[in-house]
Amino acid sequence: MELSAQQMDQLKELGNIGASHAATSLSQMLMSPIDMTVPEVMLIDISDIATHIRDEIAAIVIFEIQGEISPGGYVGLYMPRESAVRLTNTMLGTTDMDREFNEMDESALLEVGNIMISQFLDATATLLDIIMIPSPPDIAIDMAHAVFETILSQVASDINNVILFRTDLRSTVHEIRGAIILMPNCTTLNEILMLLERLMHG
Amino acid sequence: MRHLNTKSIDLPAPPALPQQCVNVGIGAYHTGTCAMTAIGLGSCIALVLHDTRHAVGACAHIMLPESGGKTDRPGKYADTAIPLLIGELTALGGVKRSFVAKITGGASMFSNFQGKLNIGERNIEAVRAHLEAHGIPVAAEDIGGTVGRTLHYNPANGGNISVKRADGSCREF
Repeated sequence: MELSAQQMDQLKELGNIGASHAATSLSQMLMSPIDMTVPEVMLIDISDIATHIRDEIAAIVIFEIQGEISPGGYVGLYMPRESAVRLTNTMLGTTDMDREFNEMDESALLEVGNIMISQFLDATATLLDIIMIPSPPDIAIDMAHAVFETILSQVASDINNVILFRTDLRSTVHEIRGAIILMPNCTTLNEILMLLERLMHG
Repeated sequence: MRHLNTKSIDLPAPPALPQQCVNVGIGAYHTGTCAMTAIGLGSCIALVLHDTRHAVGACAHIMLPESGGKTDRPGKYADTAIPLLIGELTALGGVKRSFVAKITGGASMFSNFQGKLNIGERNIEAVRAHLEAHGIPVAAEDIGGTVGRTLHYNPANGGNISVKRADGSCREF
């Protein structure tokens, strides 16, 4: 799989629109401003994933992309453990940082993830004029690399490099950081690229 | 909305690995005398093949059970990785009957997506079956469950492996 500079730019723009909507919904939930980075689109060899995603403990809310392009790959909300605790503390009105991650946290994160990722997919799908909806979410609180390689085993069985699309979001008020990560499978990516091409050139 | 520098990404800087320590990435493998590590094993399996007579070994980061005839990444699949590691160690002067296997990983990371993502169990079965077919005994294993693991292996240290789990516990085999 190879992508031209133009295709990379188109994907970045698509992600930018999706992530902006997700960031707005997070901002509303936290009632604080959210900063976001310009999306990164990386074509990574599977053996090099560890240079981008390490084994630190993180909460990852993950969805399968469903709809017109199904199975379409996966999209997820990634949050380092401490940020995840701060996020649920903010939502639940507590301040205790030094505690175990419990069911209430998981449930709150699933909900935040659901709202943000629905916004992300909805905005990108509207632009592409297709239907993309998230599956019911699942959550893992574990080594980030361990979680991602499990998802990779679904999207990269026949290919050796994957598109990693990533936007970082942060709330400086609450010291919360997270990222939206999109891992489309090969056919979905081609479909998206084709639709983008059509969009650009009418 | 303010745009931050895209390089200031969220993940913490990777901890510096000790020199001469190779991280075996997904689908990759390494053979030799230096220390090896496979970080963040989820459903994948790190297979260590250790030569008990010489301080030499090999490690593969296996992602899927069957290659289906693909040969471009032999370390990626259980059925191709095992003969590959045997061949690599034999080429370094090892004798097959002194090889032992140690395996870790094969966890199930998701509870809701089990139907689709229970690849960990299939990986474990495939690795065991292919090891048995090649007559390689499994000397140690820390597999399955629902927790991620990081493997360290040092061929010089009597072939010991240490496995750090996501819950913070660490065990040596």
